Order: sequence, then structure tokens, then C-alpha cells
Amino acid sequence: MSNPSIQRGWKAALLRHETLLLLVVAVEWLYFNSVGPRFGSVDNSFDIIRHSVEIGLLAVVMTPIILTGGIDLSAGSLLGLCAILFGKLWRDAGLSPVMAGVCTLGIGAVAGGLNAVLITGLRLPPLIVTLGTYSLFRGLGEAITRGVDTFTNFPASFLFLGQERWLGVPAQVPLFLLVAGAVWVLVHRMTFGRTFRAVGFAPEGARYAGIPVERRIALAYVLAGTVAALAAIIYTARLGQAKADAGTGYELFAITAVVLGGTSIFGGIGSVHGTLLGVAAIAVLNNGLVHARQPREVAGMLTGLLLVLALSTSALPKLLALLRSHRQTVNPEPIKS
Amino acid sequence: MKRYFRELSVAGALLILLLVLALFAPAFFQPQPLRSLLTREAPTLVVACGMAFVIIIRQIDISVGSQFAVCSVCAGLLAALKWPLVLVLPASVALGALMGAFNGMLVAGLRLPSIVVTLATMVTWREALRWQRQGQFVNLPDNLQWFGLSQSGGQWTLIGAALVVLTLLAWATRHLAAGRFIYAIGSDAEAARLAGLRPQSTTFAVFVFMGALVGLAAMMNVVQSPQVDPKSGSGLELKVIAAAVVGGVAVSGGRGRLWGVFAGLLLLACISPALTHFHVEAYWEKAIQGAIILLAVVADGVRSRKQIR
Amino acid sequence: MKKPSPLLLLLAVLALATACNKAPEASSGPAGSARKLSIALMPKSKGNAYFISCKAGADKAAKELGADLIFDGPTDPDPAKQNEIVENWIALGVDVMAVACENKEGISTALRKAQSKGIKVVTYDADALPDSRSFFVNQATPEGIGYMLMDEAARLCGGSGEFAIITASLTAANMIEWQKHIEARRAASFPNMKMVALRPCDDLKDKAQSESTALLSANPGLKLIMAICSPAVPGAAEAVKQAGKVGRVKVIGLGLPSENRRYIKEGVTDSVILWKTEDLGYLAVQAAAGLAKGTLKTGDKSFASGSLGQFEIQGDNILLGKPFVFNKDNIDQFNF
Repeated sequence: MSNPSIQRGWKAALLRHETLLLLVVAVEWLYFNSVGPRFGSVDNSFDIIRHSVEIGLLAVVMTPIILTGGIDLSAGSLLGLCAILFGKLWRDAGLSPVMAGVCTLGIGAVAGGLNAVLITGLRLPPLIVTLGTYSLFRGLGEAITRGVDTFTNFPASFLFLGQERWLGVPAQVPLFLLVAGAVWVLVHRMTFGRTFRAVGFAPEGARYAGIPVERRIALAYVLAGTVAALAAIIYTARLGQAKADAGTGYELFAITAVVLGGTSIFGGIGSVHGTLLGVAAIAVLNNGLVHARQPREVAGMLTGLLLVLALSTSALPKLLALLRSHRQTVNPEPIKS
Repeated sequence: MKRYFRELSVAGALLILLLVLALFAPAFFQPQPLRSLLTREAPTLVVACGMAFVIIIRQIDISVGSQFAVCSVCAGLLAALKWPLVLVLPASVALGALMGAFNGMLVAGLRLPSIVVTLATMVTWREALRWQRQGQFVNLPDNLQWFGLSQSGGQWTLIGAALVVLTLLAWATRHLAAGRFIYAIGSDAEAARLAGLRPQSTTFAVFVFMGALVGLAAMMNVVQSPQVDPKSGSGLELKVIAAAVVGGVAVSGGRGRLWGVFAGLLLLACISPALTHFHVEAYWEKAIQGAIILLAVVADGVRSRKQIR
Repeated sequence: MKKPSPLLLLLAVLALATACNKAPEASSGPAGSARKLSIALMPKSKGNAYFISCKAGADKAAKELGADLIFDGPTDPDPAKQNEIVENWIALGVDVMAVACENKEGISTALRKAQSKGIKVVTYDADALPDSRSFFVNQATPEGIGYMLMDEAARLCGGSGEFAIITASLTAANMIEWQKHIEARRAASFPNMKMVALRPCDDLKDKAQSESTALLSANPGLKLIMAICSPAVPGAAEAVKQAGKVGRVKVIGLGLPSENRRYIKEGVTDSVILWKTEDLGYLAVQAAAGLAKGTLKTGDKSFASGSLGQFEIQGDNILLGKPFVFNKDNIDQFNF
């Protein structure tokens, strides 16, 4: 398997997944701009960003998890649980929104920690553990509110975070950029964070290289839990209400964005900026189709199609290389599947 | 004994649940409701068997719920066009196999990760169906329900059919070369290839087979009522994956038995009615289901850690 | 690792695209040639037969008015997605929108924003907060629906006995509202009726059938199943039929005649409550258009709605009229 970081030169850069995806986003943008006269307006651009912040946050922190070869199906359910716990802390425990927010972040970290303990402590497959917590978190949310309780009438100072503009941009955008930037630096610019990819590429090799594999994996899940809580707070501020059904299905959107962004689902390969482009490609498509007056179902179908196409184009060269090496050598590199 | 620990522990859990039900809610065992419950789960069992194969060969298919809905609606529409049952059934199976082949082509042919491929096809089929049908039920002709048999006859036929599928497949995994190939490839695809097996063709075949089973299961569901809900099958993928995993199929491939899947499915299928019989409020149901899945895997994890030491 | 940052490139392309866009934006806009009134209609979710039936009426109204109708909504009932679509429509620049709200508070933020941009808002089917819309096209109040269901249940059970409710999901806002009024009516007028269980069916007919089967065997004294989401009514009826308890356990609920005709004729389902969904869609679009054109104003006491004639207005509620009870005797009069 070729390591993308070895490929250099402008040709390689042009063929890189991220560049192709950028092209997709640009083509989408230009097309929708030509069919929908108001698509390119500043207001609409900000709407696209505001609507994708929560899924963007989940996708950004899903990236390190998938880089380590794991997955987190509980992200959407945890968002729902955190949203109602935030509401509960604010309304019933009488905390200020800031204090309630801090506590919620803590709860998110603990919930992420539960995933982490089960996955690293007992060496259980992440798919199954988070499938369990997917039901558990959503179920707890429903049990606590009995499905009925809706938290609303938040103070305007809190709603500012989700609905107003700050320094000319939607207030949640700086927060999102901060988190995305921090995760990007962690994954791409720190030796510490680069180990995520090492772990995903070859867990045993990483262990022999002296990397504390379990602790790194655990960190990725705790980070994901904390940021899911942040996403829950932003979601609550944007809608002005919190209910147990918040974030249903968001995990699939986040995973789709990560994978569309070129991160290998088997771990080891991928980037945070790729994920951001993946989020952008889906968000622009969803918004643009409204301006192109297409029904919403088409957005879902096109997302699926885009995913298959994006994967196929990046898989084809690899497949050809693999077939060639099969013909030439008796003992090629193992197929990772 | 030790080889079957995982399957036996699931069967044990199921027995305990049934025992508790027998003691505190004997009404659970009235023949008619119990037969209805088993009939409702018969299609799920067929899909779960296919899913077990897919997981054993170290892939996954999360598009089964959408395939199920597409097959159900198409079968319903064909039946409404007065196609006879002998043609509708193969059509549904063929349609399922076709959708399975599409997954298989991308997974085995282009070597794309199955979880992503089937995520894409899941969304695509579901949204396409919603776009076309807009949620409208398909009304079926009168003679289709229970294959035109009496209700109990139809129910026994369906339960029987599901058990026949289970038994045949369980036998095949032990005694047919093709069945053993799946385990070999799931354990180590490269070793299997060097031993002369063809991992990619086999993977393709497993996906096609999965689709065909979904087509069959969809038909088994369609004949249970006089209408087809185009949303039928939503959440089916999670249900069967959970059943397979609770029943001892390893997601890392190469391990698992269909009898375990059967026990796992029955266990999960009994939880919801059991809670109704114990008069537990519905608010707790999802949390309890999640806790049970976690308990099953934790128990397995603790045990295998002990073995390592 | 890489030379040109893809993010920078993205920003550059976006800037370029926005710049290119400036020119056409000035020329098009509200004063384009052959300007049609554009009306946006949102269901709670797409792929729901109830709202498709509303849309049939809405299409008719739009045709009569010569207006441009946009019909879009989330694929699953999701307040966050509804909120986004409203904001998309604001950006799209529709003249007026008619919205069926999944959740009061969640959607009201977006609707207020629409009003502040000069877009008129009416709600139909389920209301938002009163300050976020001009009128609510009211097909039946939650109170009216709840009371009607409970009264019908008590009538069929002879005023006493056990009943169970099947709902779409534990979090569906309008059903929670109905349950509240069902319970209030029960406590006030029928203390001998007892609700033994509330089960969600995820808006799936198959799951409603499984849940009903379990309910029937777990509660031998059950006299009635009340299915308050439309796929649950045929699901519950099929379960009662398969359990051989037709007549002993009654089925009532809210649903479409087309999905229940078979069971009502067979005598499994006793009565289904609904309003004329096509008229609801028609009236919603007519009211939206009237509001945009100025023929409907706050304080009006009645509204002339195209081919359907006059409708009464109470406060800011346009009343569709009383819900119907479909049963064996009148089911054949309704073909939707």
C-alpha cells in the first residue's frame, strides 16, 4: 500500500484525494451559483456554515478515531443525551448556561471515556461497543425526559451562540474553527497526534515502536465525547430547544463526511482538512439542491453516489497497481480488507 | 464445551429470560401470540443468517434494511399487477440478489470498504424509494396473504421456511467446501488466497447471497399482511448485526455459528415483548437493549482477556 | 507534507464564485419578468402519505392561483432539519411559507427570522409559537383531537375498561400533546377507563403490529387499542385480526381512509378520525397566498378560500371545520 505522504510534486498533489474533492466542491458551487441566483449570497453562505457546524464538529473528531482504525456510532446519540443534560442542568439544577455548559462538556468526556474503557480496556471491537452505547445513550436520554420533556426559553445571551453574528460571522464559527484547527494541529503537526495514524496503520508495529496504543486510542474517544457535548450545546443554542431526539442519525452524516474526505475506514490514512472538505461537499450539495429546486430525497441519493464515486476514483489507481504487482511477484503485500 | 462457550452463554441467557417469563408472566407462552412473535421474526432470522456470513467473511452490510424495503415494495407492486406468487417470489429474490451484486461488485471488484459502500447504497436505495413512493402503502390483492393458506397454516409455513433456511445454511457451513471457504477467508484472506481460494469471488458471492436472502425475507414479510409499508425494514440492519454479534459472530471475521445467531436473535426479539409483559414503561426500552448488547460483548471481552493471560 | 493548502484554495474559489455572482444578482430578484407568487409548503416529513394527501390539495390551490409551489421538508421528522429548510427558503427568497411544525420552539426561531425579512408565515397541521406566524390553519386543536379519541374510546368500551396507546415515537411533539388531552379527558369524564400501556412504533406498520401482539397477550383485559399515528392503525388492526380477537378488542385511531378501508369493512377497526387532508393543504396555500396579496389581514373574521368558499377565523386561527369519524357506514364516501 502506497503511503500518500511520500508522493511529492505537483502531479501527485493534483491527484491527491483532497484536491479532487476541492474540485468537486468548486464545481458544485459554480453549478448551484448558476442555477440559483441567491445561492452565492453572503447570507446563504453563512447559512451553509451554520447548518453544518454540529455535523462538522462530530466529523472532525471522528477523524482521529477512524485514523486509529476505530469508529464511533454513538456520536449522534451522545449529542442528544448531552443536549438534554445541558437543559436539565440549566433549568432544574439552576446553573448558569456557562456552568451548565462546562458540566456538559465533562459529561461528554465521561461518556466518551466509557467507550474508551470498553474498547481499550477490554479490547472489544469499537463497532460493537459504540453500537451498544448508541442505544444506551439515546435510551438514557428518553428515559430521563420520558421523551416528553423539552427544554426551552433559554436566555438570549445563550442563544446568541447559535443564532447571532459575532465580528460579522455566525457566532459558532470561531468556536468551530478553533476546534477544527486544534484537531488539525494535533493530528498533522504534533508527533503526539501523528501516532493516531501509526496506530491505525499497524497497531502491533506501533506498540513495538513504544507508542502507548491504548492511551492514544482512549484519548481519541474522550476527545470525541467532549466535542459531541460542545456540538450539543451549539445545537441547543441554534434551535433554542433541547429534546431527546436531538442529533438522530448524525453519526452517519459524520462518518460519511470523514470517508468522503479521503480517510480510510481501516485507519492509517486520512486528514482533517479532507474531512472538512467532505463536510463542505455534502453541505453545499444539500443547500444547493434547494436553490436548484430539487426535492430533498435527491440530496440523499447524490450523497450516496458521490461517496461511491469518490472512493472508486481513489481506489482505481491502487487496484491497478495491486493487480500489476500480483502479476509480477509471487508474494505481494497483503490486501487490507 | 469450551468451544461452544459463546453460543451456550447466549442460549443460557435466553433460557433465563424465558424462565423468568414463565414464572412471572406465563401469559407470554400462550400459543397464538408466541406463534405470531416467531412469525414476525422469521424474515429477520433469514436476513440474520446472511449477515452472519457477511460478518464471518469479515465484511459488513448495512444496506439490508433499504434492500428489504425496495424488495417489499417491488414485490407488492408486482403482486398488485396480478402477477402470480410463483413469479413474484423469484422476482423479489432476484432483485435482492441484484442489489447484493452491486454491493459485491464495489466491495470485491474495486476493493472498497464494505461499511462505506453499503452506507452509500443504504442511503441511495432508501431515498430513491421515498422519492418514488412518497410513503404510500401498497395494497395487495386478497389471495396473497399467507400464500392463500389459512392464518395458522401460513404462519407455520413461514416459521418452517426460516428454520429450513437456518438448518441448511448451518449444515452448509460445516459440510460444504463453500461454507468452509467463508471461514478461511474471514480468518486470513491472504493465507486463503495462497492456499488457492479466491477471496474476491467468494466475497462477491456472499454479497449476492445476502441480497437474495433479503429478497426472500422481504417476501416472507409481505405475505404477513394485506399492505406493504414502504418504510418496512428501517433499522433492520442494526437488529441483525446486533443479533449476530450477541450470538457470538466475531466482527474480526472467521468465527461464528448460525445456531448462536439464532439464539441471539431470539434473545433480542424477546426483550421488547418481555418488557411489555412485565409492564415496564417504554421509556427504558432502548437503554435496556443497549445495556444488554454491551453486557454480551463485555462478558466476551473479559473472558477472552482471561484466556490471554 | 503538502504545498498549496486545499483550504486556501477553497477560500479562493468561494471568493471568486461570490464575486462572479454579484452581477446576476442585481438584475434578477423580485422584479423579474413574469413574476409569479412563490409559496413554500413544508410537511413534518416527506414520504408520509398524510402530507402527500395535503399536497394534492395544495397543488390544486397553486394551480388556481397561478402561483409557484415549493414542497419540501426533512426526510424524517427532525426539528433541526425543518429549521434549516426555513432558513434555506429565506435565502431562496420565497414570498410566503406554510409550515407544519414538528416542534414549536425549534421552528419558531427560524420563522421569526423569516418574518423579520418580510416573508409572510402561516402554519398548518401543527402550530408554532403565536408570535412567529400570522395565522394558523387549524384542522383540529390538540384538545379537540384528544377529547374526540377518548370519547370514542369510552363509547366503544361502554365507559370502563383497559386501553393501550400506540404512538409514533416517545418524542413526537404533537402526539405528546394529544396524550396530555386524552389523559385529561379520561381523568375528568371516564375515571373507570384505565390506560395500561403506551408503546412507540417508530412510525412503522410492522413494528406497530408486533407491539400490538405483545400488548394483547400481556393484557388479557384489554378492550381497546388507540393508534395515534397513521401507520399504527392498520398495524394494530392486523394484530387484533391475527390474534382472533376481532370484536372483543376494538381498534380506533388517526389515519387515512385508504390505509384502513379494508379493516373497517371487515369490522376490525371501529372508527378512524381524520379531517379532509386535501382541503387542509388547499386552505393552507390559499391562506398563504391571501396573506401575501393582502386579501387576508389580522383581525379578519372570515376568509374566502377559492373554490372551497368561506372559512371562519377565530383570533388568528383559520378553522378548517370539525374532524370526521370514518366508520363502516361512511368509509366509501372518501377516496383518499
